[in-house]
Amino acid sequence: MKDLLKKLVETYGPAGNEGPIREVIRKEVEGLVDEVVVDALGNLIAIRRGQGPKVMIAAHMDEIGIIVTHIDEKGFVRFSNIGGISPHMLIGQRVIFANGTVGVFGMEKLDDIKDLRLSKMFIDIGAKDEASAREKVSVGDVAGLCRQACFQGDRVIAKSLDDRAGCAVLIQVLRELANKEIPNQVYAVFTVQEELGLRGARTAAYRVNPDIGFAVDVTGTGDTPEAPTMAVELGKGAAIKVKDAVVLTHPRVRQFMIETAEKKGIPYQLEVLERGGTDTGPIHLTREGVPSGAISIPTRYIHTPSEMADMNDIENVVKLFVAILEEQLDALIV
Amino acid sequence: MATLGLAEFLSSIISESGVSGHEGKVAALVEKHMSGLFDEARTDALGNLIVLKRGTGRTPHPRVMLAAHMDEIGLMVTKIEDQGCLRVTQVGGIDRRILPGLEVIVHGRRDLPGVIGAKPPHVQEPGEREKSMKWEDLYVDVGLTADEARELIRIGDIATFAQTPIKLQGKFMAGKTMDDRAGVAVLFECLRVLRDMRHQADVYCVATVQEEVGLRGAITSTYGIVPDVGIAIDVGFGDQSSVPEYQSISMDNGPGIAFSPAVHQGIFERLTSIASELEIPYQVDPSPYPGGTDAYAIQMARGGIPTGLVSIPLRYMHTAVETVCLADIERAGRLLAEFIVRLDKKFVEGLKCF
Repeated sequence: MKDLLKKLVETYGPAGNEGPIREVIRKEVEGLVDEVVVDALGNLIAIRRGQGPKVMIAAHMDEIGIIVTHIDEKGFVRFSNIGGISPHMLIGQRVIFANGTVGVFGMEKLDDIKDLRLSKMFIDIGAKDEASAREKVSVGDVAGLCRQACFQGDRVIAKSLDDRAGCAVLIQVLRELANKEIPNQVYAVFTVQEELGLRGARTAAYRVNPDIGFAVDVTGTGDTPEAPTMAVELGKGAAIKVKDAVVLTHPRVRQFMIETAEKKGIPYQLEVLERGGTDTGPIHLTREGVPSGAISIPTRYIHTPSEMADMNDIENVVKLFVAILEEQLDALIV
Repeated sequence: MATLGLAEFLSSIISESGVSGHEGKVAALVEKHMSGLFDEARTDALGNLIVLKRGTGRTPHPRVMLAAHMDEIGLMVTKIEDQGCLRVTQVGGIDRRILPGLEVIVHGRRDLPGVIGAKPPHVQEPGEREKSMKWEDLYVDVGLTADEARELIRIGDIATFAQTPIKLQGKFMAGKTMDDRAGVAVLFECLRVLRDMRHQADVYCVATVQEEVGLRGAITSTYGIVPDVGIAIDVGFGDQSSVPEYQSISMDNGPGIAFSPAVHQGIFERLTSIASELEIPYQVDPSPYPGGTDAYAIQMARGGIPTGLVSIPLRYMHTAVETVCLADIERAGRLLAEFIVRLDKKFVEGLKCF
C-alpha cells in the first residue's frame, strides 16, 4: 500500500492533464476488473461485472497545479492557478511540468506580505532569456507541485494525497475483492477535473447511471492548534460524510455506512465539512437522483505540498468500502 | 380524504421539522394531508414527494409540474465541546443575528430542547454589542454534560427552530419555515380546487427537497418528470419597513407573478391574463436574477423546460417568525388551478415556438 501510494502521489496529473496518472492507474487496475474504459473527458472507469445493483465508487485522480499565462523577455513565467492554490503556500516551493522542467516561485517586492497575490508572483525555470524559456515551456503549459512522499510512523506526508490517497483506496479495494464473490457490480471511477468543479464525476455518473454512488476523498481536520471547529481527527478512523458544500448524505445511506462500520468493528468518525465538496455532489444529482455517500480520509494541510494523513485511517477506509460492497445494497435504492 | 382546511394544513406542516436533506417526516405528513386529492404518489431517490393527478381526454396528456420546496433552513452539530455545549453550522442561509435567545430542538437519538444564549450585556466590551456573533462564538446548550451529550447527540445531528405556529390578526400567520411550506400549501389549495374541475393535463405536484442548499431536489425531480410546463411556487419579499418598495411585493395583495430570466414569457402572460380575467389579485414581480428558486433548476433540466414562478409575499424571510397572509395562498392556488384547466396541447406547443 505504501509503495502504491508513493507512486500515485508522485505522478504528474494536474486537472485537465491527467494522462500520466491515468496510465499508472490503468496498469494497476487491469487484471483486477472485467473492463477498463476511458470516457470523453478522460475519466478512467474500471468495471467489475456481476449480479446486483450497479455501484459507482469514485476518487479523483487530478491534482491542483498552475498554468502558464505569459513568458516575459527575461524568461520569467507568469501563471494562474488550476484549482485552489494559496499564494502564501507557494513561497519556496517547486513545480514540475509534464516534460520534467522544474520551476521555483519568486515574488515582486512587497511592502506587506499580506498583499501577496498570484499576480505578484512568477516562476523561474532558470532560463537566461525569453527564447531559452520558450524552449522549455509554452503559454498554456501546466505544472504540478514537486515533492516526494515520506512515511513517518503511521503518518504519510505528501503532495496530492488529495485525492491520490482515494485512488489508492479504490485500487486496494479492487485488489481485495479480486477473488471474492460479491452481490454488487462495481464501477470504480478515477475522475478528472474534480479540482476545477467536480466535472469528471458529472459526466462519468451520467454514463455509468449507477444505482448507488460513493466517493472517497480527503477531508479537513480540527485537531491542530487553534484549528477551525471540526470534530474530525487524524488516526480516529474512516470519516463518514454527513455534509459538505455540495451534498447532504441521505440519512438512510449515512445510517447504512455507520451500521456497516459498527458491524465490522471498523473505527469511524462523522464528518461535517463546512467548506469544499467532492464528487458525491454531482453523482447524487445525476439523472433522477442517485442514493450516494462518501467516506473521507482525514487529512491535514490540504492543498499544500505537505498534506498529512494516517495510514491506519486509509486502511480503515479500504476496509469499510470492502465491507459495503460485500453487503446487499438493494434496501438503499428507492 | 383531505379534510383539513388551508390554515390547519399549513399549521400542521410548519410544525414538523424537515431541514434540507432530512425531509422524510414532512413528506409523509404532506402526502397524508393530500390523500384523496391525487391519483398516485411516490418519493424519489433524493426524497422529493411527487404527487400525480391525472388529466382526462386523449393521451398523451400535456404534463405540468408544480414545485414548492418543503425543506427548511436549520442547524447541524459540528462538535460537542468538553463543557457539553454543541457547536453548530448552518444548513441553508441562516442570519446569525437572529440566533441568540432562540429556542431550538436538537434532533438527537431523541428530540432535546436547547437554547442559544448570548454574553450578558453587563460584561460585554465596548463595541461588542454593535457586532453580530460569529459562528465560533455561538453554541447550543441542552443542559447536559459532555459525556451525557455524547450519549444522545452525534456529529451531524440536526437542530431546528422550536417555533410553534402563531395566528396573527386577520388572515396573517407567522412561524418557522413558511419559506416554503406556504408554497406547499399552494399545491394543496390548487389540488383542492382541481378536485371539482376537469383538466387535460397530468398534474405533477412536487414537494421538493434541498432547495435551500442549491435547488437540488428540483434538478432530479424535473429530470424524472420531463414536464411540458414547470411552475415553481416560492416566497417573495413581503412589504416590511427596511425593505425597499421596489424589492418587495405587498402582503394580502395577491401572489407575485415573476417576470425573470428563469420565466418563460408565454407562461407569465398566460398567468397574468387569467388572473385579470377572473379578477384574482396579483402583482408583477420583477426578479432580475435567474438563480434563487426551483424555477431555475426546472428551466435548465434536460433540453430546457418552459417555466414560470409564482411567489407568496412573506415578511421576515429566514427567521423563525416568517409571516404570510393565507388569502394570498388561496389566490395562488386558485390561479394555478385555473391555469391548469386551460392548459392544452396547443398552448404547450406554442411555448416552444418563438
